[in-house]
Amino acid sequence: MEPNKVAVAAPPVLCDSKPALLFEEVTVVRGGIPVLDAVRATVPIGSCTAIVGPNGSGKTSLLLALLGELSHQGQISFPGYGGERPRIGYVPQRFTFDRGLPLTVGEFLALGFQTRPLWFGVSPRVQKKAKTMLAQVQAEHLLRRRLGALSGGELQRVLLALALQQEPELLVLDEPAAGVDFQGEYVFCDLLDNLRCSWGFTQLMVSHDLPTVTHHATHVICLNHRVVAEGPPQRVLTPENLSAIFGLHMGMVSLKSMPMAQAGCTAPCCQPQAENTADA
Amino acid sequence: MPDLSWLYAFVAQALPLPCMQARFMQQALVALLLLAPMTAAMGIIMVNFRMAFYAEAISHSAFTGVALGMLLAISPDWTMPLFGLAVGLGITAAQRHSDLASDTVIGVFFSGMIAFGLAMVSRDRSLARDMQRFLYGDILTISETEIWVLLLLLFFVLIFLARTYNRLLYVGINTTLARTHRVRVPPLQYVFAGLLALIVMLAVQAIGVFLVTALLVVPAASARNLSRNAGTMFWWTLLISTSSAILGLIVSAQDWARTATGATIILIACCWFACSLLFARGTRT
Repeated sequence: MEPNKVAVAAPPVLCDSKPALLFEEVTVVRGGIPVLDAVRATVPIGSCTAIVGPNGSGKTSLLLALLGELSHQGQISFPGYGGERPRIGYVPQRFTFDRGLPLTVGEFLALGFQTRPLWFGVSPRVQKKAKTMLAQVQAEHLLRRRLGALSGGELQRVLLALALQQEPELLVLDEPAAGVDFQGEYVFCDLLDNLRCSWGFTQLMVSHDLPTVTHHATHVICLNHRVVAEGPPQRVLTPENLSAIFGLHMGMVSLKSMPMAQAGCTAPCCQPQAENTADA
Repeated sequence: MPDLSWLYAFVAQALPLPCMQARFMQQALVALLLLAPMTAAMGIIMVNFRMAFYAEAISHSAFTGVALGMLLAISPDWTMPLFGLAVGLGITAAQRHSDLASDTVIGVFFSGMIAFGLAMVSRDRSLARDMQRFLYGDILTISETEIWVLLLLLFFVLIFLARTYNRLLYVGINTTLARTHRVRVPPLQYVFAGLLALIVMLAVQAIGVFLVTALLVVPAASARNLSRNAGTMFWWTLLISTSSAILGLIVSAQDWARTATGATIILIACCWFACSLLFARGTRT
């Protein structure tokens, strides 16, 4: 995997029949209430998997359990990576931080990669890497800007660059579309699709934005405390399923408007014949 | 312990002022030069972690530490820092293992400690006189042993920060993100809280209970206004903290001033802050 090169063609990397991620009977209880109730779901390797569901359905909790931030019952395993925990890149949802802190984007990207304290500056090696990663997300110009002065869309790109710096095998995004306008969101998701195909990572994102999901996801997990349906978007995002999850008629998603694998992932596991659906 | 008189002679030569010829002034200056860089560097992280209230609680536990020493017939020089350390680690553990907001946890510890200290002091009127020393601080009576302790602590703090400064900043910005970067947060938090507690306790003797937090917060807060990146912020904090300490000591010794040293240091640091605010406003417009 050569992170510096942006390949146009998608190499069918890392693809075998084993899923990247397997949730087995994952249960999370918060304040006595089960937020997640025996969740069973798979994330195919090399896919762009979206977790959809209404507010409070446990989407973020599932991610936090995966990241080890929330204690849970049941098992989360990584069969696609030989059972070992893969390198995980994480792009958080609401990145609240002290905006008054004088910290440049370059310094921020160096925090996790350099032991030498920042008072002696960012090492040229780390600086170069940060620059390369920012170029990957088309945000090279932000290197010297103050982190606190970035707009929502710019911050999102910087956070993505930070996640990419870890050379993730699994990229986890919590509401990547939150706080960005429709155009920005579309561009961001397109960028993610290209990166996923050239780098070959598996992408797992939480979204309650159905247009984004229908355009970009190759695998969908519908969650409302339990898994309501799972599979490729064309099969899962049916009016029946959607009204079961969201509790109202979702006229906005028309099956005809769904592009067939427009996301461009050619990994065999993303193709319709290799799906393994677990409709409830 | 090796003799430090060469160091005192050096500072007397470096600052050839009439007031610097007395040994107690030289000792005070050395102590401040050891203390100021520590409070500066730890202050940056403390402000980043929003732990000002924590420092306040630790400094107020000085009372109880001294009272405890009197009660157990152990020198307060031991009981005060050790008690501060215990309180600091206790607060950190309670914050980690309870759902309460962190200022609530500290508030409970804070009031419990003050109440215990006051109860002890009220039993024995003679204790109350000793307490004044801790309220206002007394850098001019600092002993050579205390200077050695400061030297040792500075050594540890520098090593600790040189290894973990970036990670501490990272955790302060976003804990979850730092954790996905394999930063092990709990040991960092405990060591930081412990070192901060020890520094606060030593600073109490120099600056006084009331003003310790200011020594940690004001230089870091001023440097924020003056710098554009984290690298320069560190050096600004160091400059502001050290210059305030030196100037504060010299001014307080002048005949026209004759003020408490700790208070004078903080006043000068606050002047720095006022200037930094003007600077920040100037650059914004």
